[in-house]
Amino acid sequence: MNPLREAWQSVVRRDPLSTDKGKSELIFLNVWLHIHPAKVKKENLKVKHTFYLGFITFFLFLILVTTGVALMIYYRPQSPQAYQDMKDLQFVVYLGTFLRNMHRWSAHGMVICVFLHMCRVFYTGSYKRPRQFNWVIGVVLFLLTLGLSFTGYLLPWDQLAFWAITVGTNIGSYAPLMGAKIRELLLGGHAVGESALLRFYVLHVAVLPALMTLLTMVHFWRVRKDGGLSRPVWKLQEEKSAQLVTIGAPDTSAALAAVPASQDKTYGLMEVVTGKPIFETVSMEEEEDTVFSYPYAFFREGIALLVTVATVMAVSLFWKAPLEELANPAKTPNPAKAPWYFLGLQELVSHSALLGGVIVPTLAVLALIAIPYIDSNPSRRPADRKWAIRAFTLFVVVNVVLIVVGTFFRGPGWALVPPWVHITGAE
Amino acid sequence: MKRRSFVSWGTAGLVAVCSAIGVSLGAVVRFLTPSVFYEPPQTFKIGNPADFSYGPPTFLAEEKIFVFRDPEKGFAVASAVCTHLGCTVGYFQSDERFHCPCHGSVFNADGTVQHGPAPRPLEWFEVTLARDGQLMVDKDRAVPANYRLMVAS
Repeated sequence: MNPLREAWQSVVRRDPLSTDKGKSELIFLNVWLHIHPAKVKKENLKVKHTFYLGFITFFLFLILVTTGVALMIYYRPQSPQAYQDMKDLQFVVYLGTFLRNMHRWSAHGMVICVFLHMCRVFYTGSYKRPRQFNWVIGVVLFLLTLGLSFTGYLLPWDQLAFWAITVGTNIGSYAPLMGAKIRELLLGGHAVGESALLRFYVLHVAVLPALMTLLTMVHFWRVRKDGGLSRPVWKLQEEKSAQLVTIGAPDTSAALAAVPASQDKTYGLMEVVTGKPIFETVSMEEEEDTVFSYPYAFFREGIALLVTVATVMAVSLFWKAPLEELANPAKTPNPAKAPWYFLGLQELVSHSALLGGVIVPTLAVLALIAIPYIDSNPSRRPADRKWAIRAFTLFVVVNVVLIVVGTFFRGPGWALVPPWVHITGAE
Repeated sequence: MKRRSFVSWGTAGLVAVCSAIGVSLGAVVRFLTPSVFYEPPQTFKIGNPADFSYGPPTFLAEEKIFVFRDPEKGFAVASAVCTHLGCTVGYFQSDERFHCPCHGSVFNADGTVQHGPAPRPLEWFEVTLARDGQLMVDKDRAVPANYRLMVAS
């Protein structure tokens, strides 16, 4: 046998991809690909079902890890070197500005895509049984994304960074009982300084990304274990699909023939397990609706990856990541605004630190986590869940309005201003 | 295994596991709390009384304090740190008030909250006369807003 061919075979260990067996083995025998099913439902590949938002979020995370590691090579988490390193990245390091732009814009994109992904999952009712807990993991991943954003924009040690830590850790200090301790542990001191920068750096490059990676793995794993992607809502309207049933095996005394004889195929999980075996009946039509992941799903995921990377690169070519002056503890910029995704929170905080900074956000997160357990309505059809959809839409609208007010309608001293002063300048 | 010994061993095991977790958590929190703070001292000298003028307060940026000097009432030192979320307030002579740039809190000249989200008045710190005749501020000692240091000139 041709030794080259043999070497190749020792790597891939599968039949040729021209065969169905090869297409399946490509996935089963590959540690990276086996998170996919061998076959996927055609309907689940449709863009209008998921908009590929989960994939895009994951691809943005990959861009963030890659560019983040590159930026670490030219970054020292000390004051004032941190800021000097930003300037070096801007003016000295080859591709420095471009990498920093990519890192920043992917981070913004990730906040948007995680949020949109959450909206998609809500509106399609995909958090319902058996996917309740995966929704909870998703909410935690959303919080981790915000945590990574927060710890990330501190690292340049510019004015934004300094006052964001000051305000952010002070919000933490309003937490009941252990508020002051939380602030001291975050800052590693009583004032924002070197130890705070180092601690946020460790959180940003080690602790939070590790948690994010682990939970992402669990999130993906559970998508598979919970039966893959949910059925598109429009499929639920069709009578036939609604009758699909999973049946338990009959008692040991009864014969397997008890399963209704029809055109449908019955699959059993043939394993040595105690308790009842699991049988699932899938209609023939269902099976014809599936395609092999290779090449159909992989091709679409590849397109999503390319579009994501290309978009981030294009944005990074034309828009620079912001960098303010060197951190100056003596002078608070006026107005001192957080990045846009925290301006809703800042707007709340401007009314009351305890209520807006601690109580309302905590309740909002708890409510998000509790959604699959509060919503006992089993139906996923929009027509059957009008109130759930109204309530969630209200939540989304309130978030957007708060962010818009904080971004466009707040000026120096957090006073209300008409939005055009940001373009024309104050009078 | 007898029920009695199961219960006693089980309780002992549970106590052991819980205390191990408790001690470890305590150690983690203690580890994260620095034993030494390399921070500027809370007690410091700010100069001779004659260095400060009457009229609007003097802002010391590094110390984040305002030094008031009044011909009749003497010296007083106010914190420039907003009690809301820690931004540095500015003193505006036009309305004789402190304004916070972050969330719009406004404080009167005596430190009380005029309006805005700030929950407490600005802090006032003890100011004394050191042996060498310089003014000495102790940020660890809060004093009432009417505290004054009279210096005979």
